[in-house]
Amino acid sequence: MPQFRAKKLDLGGFVNARIIRDHTRRKVYERFEEERQALRYVIRNTTLPQAMRTKAQLELANMHAYTRPTQIQNRCVMGGTARSVFRAFRMGRFQFRMNALAGDLPGVKKASW
Amino acid sequence: MATSVAKSRLLDLTRTQCNLFQTTFNPERLRTGNKILRQRLKGPSLAAYYPRKPSTLRDLQDDFNKLDLITYDEDEEYRLEGIQIAKFRGKGAPKKKRVADTTKKGRKRK
Repeated sequence: MPQFRAKKLDLGGFVNARIIRDHTRRKVYERFEEERQALRYVIRNTTLPQAMRTKAQLELANMHAYTRPTQIQNRCVMGGTARSVFRAFRMGRFQFRMNALAGDLPGVKKASW
Repeated sequence: MATSVAKSRLLDLTRTQCNLFQTTFNPERLRTGNKILRQRLKGPSLAAYYPRKPSTLRDLQDDFNKLDLITYDEDEEYRLEGIQIAKFRGKGAPKKKRVADTTKKGRKRK
């Protein structure tokens, strides 16, 4: 969403539109996380008045989609793919293989027995 | 040995336990949403997923220039020198027009 996008690109590695989008979502989530957690607390707290809790529910539901953590998708840092991304290496399977074979990932070795 | 312990005594025991181990005393087991407050904020680690742009010499120079400190950028000096030479030879870029173009050519383009 244009209202959240950074004016100046602050990414250093591989960049494409989807990575920029995902990065923006992450930053937006970081900014609104406390607000979301506060609303979630009000919703879960059964000792608070029901009207207040319902209002909090509506408010949380009406927050922008970019503030939602479920919108965040781990993408390959080297190539931008969203599928079969290793969490530990932040890389897609093919980029992982290429980097591992090139010896760029310390401690990763091709299995052979 | 122990026959039966009063309920109030047991409650007192739990309260003391909660005090000691710094847990919330909640004998009715109400849902107070404290589990949300206990959660850690994930935002900073999530936002640090993609590698950020490293700061360059140019950024450093910009910061210095903001403080009115003089920096020397060889490439920039070279570029400016080339522009000067081109201007002396009459090959510089044309000046920007300040006022709205009212000539025939300008109108045609619109």
